[in-house]
Amino acid sequence: MSYEAIAIIMFASMMLMLMTGQRVFGAIGGIAAIAALTLWGAGGHDIPFASAMKLMKWYPMLTLPMFIFMGYVLSESKLADDLYRMFHVWMGPIDGGLAIGTIGLMVLISAMNGLSVAGMAIGATIALPELLRRGYDKQMVTGVIQAGSSLGILVPPSVVLVLYAMIARQPVGQLWLAGVVPGLMMASMFVLYIAIRCRIQRHLGPALPPEERNATMREKLRLLRAGLLPLGIFAAMMIPFISGWTSLVESSAIGAIAAFLAAVVARRMTREVFEVSVRQTLAVSCMFMWIILAALGFGAVFDGLGAVRAIDDLFTDQLGLDPWTILILMQLSFILMGTFLDDTAMLVIVAPLYVPLVKVLGFDLIWYGVLYTITTQIAYMTPPFGYNLFLMRAMAPPEISLKDIYTSIVPFVLVMVAALAMVMIFPQIAMWLPNYVYGK
Amino acid sequence: MPSLAIAYVRIVDAVNRRIGRLMMYGLFVMMAILLWSTISKAAFVVPAFWTLELAQYSLAAYYILGGPYSIQLGSNVRMDLFYAGWSDRKKAWFDCFTVLLLIFYLGVLLWGGIDSTSYALQYNERSPSLWRPQMWPIKTIMCAGIVLMLLQAISELIKDVAKLRGEPIHVV
Repeated sequence: MSYEAIAIIMFASMMLMLMTGQRVFGAIGGIAAIAALTLWGAGGHDIPFASAMKLMKWYPMLTLPMFIFMGYVLSESKLADDLYRMFHVWMGPIDGGLAIGTIGLMVLISAMNGLSVAGMAIGATIALPELLRRGYDKQMVTGVIQAGSSLGILVPPSVVLVLYAMIARQPVGQLWLAGVVPGLMMASMFVLYIAIRCRIQRHLGPALPPEERNATMREKLRLLRAGLLPLGIFAAMMIPFISGWTSLVESSAIGAIAAFLAAVVARRMTREVFEVSVRQTLAVSCMFMWIILAALGFGAVFDGLGAVRAIDDLFTDQLGLDPWTILILMQLSFILMGTFLDDTAMLVIVAPLYVPLVKVLGFDLIWYGVLYTITTQIAYMTPPFGYNLFLMRAMAPPEISLKDIYTSIVPFVLVMVAALAMVMIFPQIAMWLPNYVYGK
Repeated sequence: MPSLAIAYVRIVDAVNRRIGRLMMYGLFVMMAILLWSTISKAAFVVPAFWTLELAQYSLAAYYILGGPYSIQLGSNVRMDLFYAGWSDRKKAWFDCFTVLLLIFYLGVLLWGGIDSTSYALQYNERSPSLWRPQMWPIKTIMCAGIVLMLLQAISELIKDVAKLRGEPIHVV
């Protein structure tokens, strides 16, 4: 049997096993173990454990529990409530202002956190009920929260970029900086879309009536102080890191400690908040780590088959495509796969396949990291499998149906595709800041 | 269900729960190590050189020993396009068979782990770094965690079989 056929059988049986609803890591790891033993006999038995040793040596993995803990502390302790109120009084008077404010809130939360889960939780528990009560259109609101929280993986610190950095062997600092401008650009494009849409269709996002926003100037300024918290945490993490005093991992620990202390000082760290954040950190970290462990084993078997070279060969030599066509095809197939595959699994399965290919084609791997992350964001939000979609379903009040959630993302996904295209056409959007800071 | 099976489920779940609850606080151990590493860089001429590896070992112990508890918490994602819509009975039927794949994976993982640990013990393997720690302690911990995972997976299987026989086991 040819190696391509084996690769296809492995992939197909993995998809089949995933469909049965068994735990993702069990399905991926099991197929990898069976493939290793059938291909290399008893000699293949050490592949899964070798992956465990490899995973242990990936130092940046330590950021994962730190960022997850930070996210839970921020969302469970309700530290973000004041932040939301700040945007509420300042943005309320404009058409669609609360939705625009929610995007702003999401950008600030993204700057404190590396995953989209925290933004999602804060958006769904604080912003969602408020916006619905103010007569905002429910599809508009769910779309805003899903799109906004997905910024969490593009704006530094980003866990997705850490994972990418390990697979592509690129410096995390430059990747993070490369995500800043595209992240802010995408946020501005969301804001622009909301502003225009709400200007044309006023009922989607009505401005607050005067009695709702008659906060005094003093009160308004006091609320502005709430914005200091994310800025402080962000600075405490990023300044030592960018100036090279601390490593990435140490910075993430500082961030986690800063968030924890902020919650303690604000007297929000109750026993229950503590218990939930610590327990959920273990649960979510274990979920991620075991999937990555299993996927590494799968990837090792795949590598052993030389599957990447076979695919590269197929595209460039046999089909005679130029690098850009291949790149665009890759992004399209990535989005397509993202709609079917579980996103965490996809992250660790697809990246080892695509990244070497991108390198062979001669593209900049830092720039591709940004493209990769935006594509992951889109994949997070597209049905039928989307992490954000499921989270939204779990957190949203019952009057929001699954259909509402699915339709709500359409315009935002289009905006994201536009942003993706812009970064592809103008690589400077991503590359300017890292080149400037690291003086290339 | 045979009383032996019920006792097995109760004991395994209780032990894994305790270990998981303990590992939960490993988060603060990792934080402390990293904080110490930061402080030592600023305060001493020679920064602590052992922090990096110790933090890596802590993370490995954290997620492998904490794994069984995360299964109990039901936090391991499943692809639930179809699964979510099934009845509890149908879920249990499918899980009874597909969990065998998980058990097989953990078995192979353990097989490699034991080989690797006995190699480390036999040749006194050390990590190739400045600190040069012995490798067998962390490998032993990882193997122990995989054994616990295996026990937990079997416990899940027994619970599903019990559910299908209409006499579910209630774990306190």
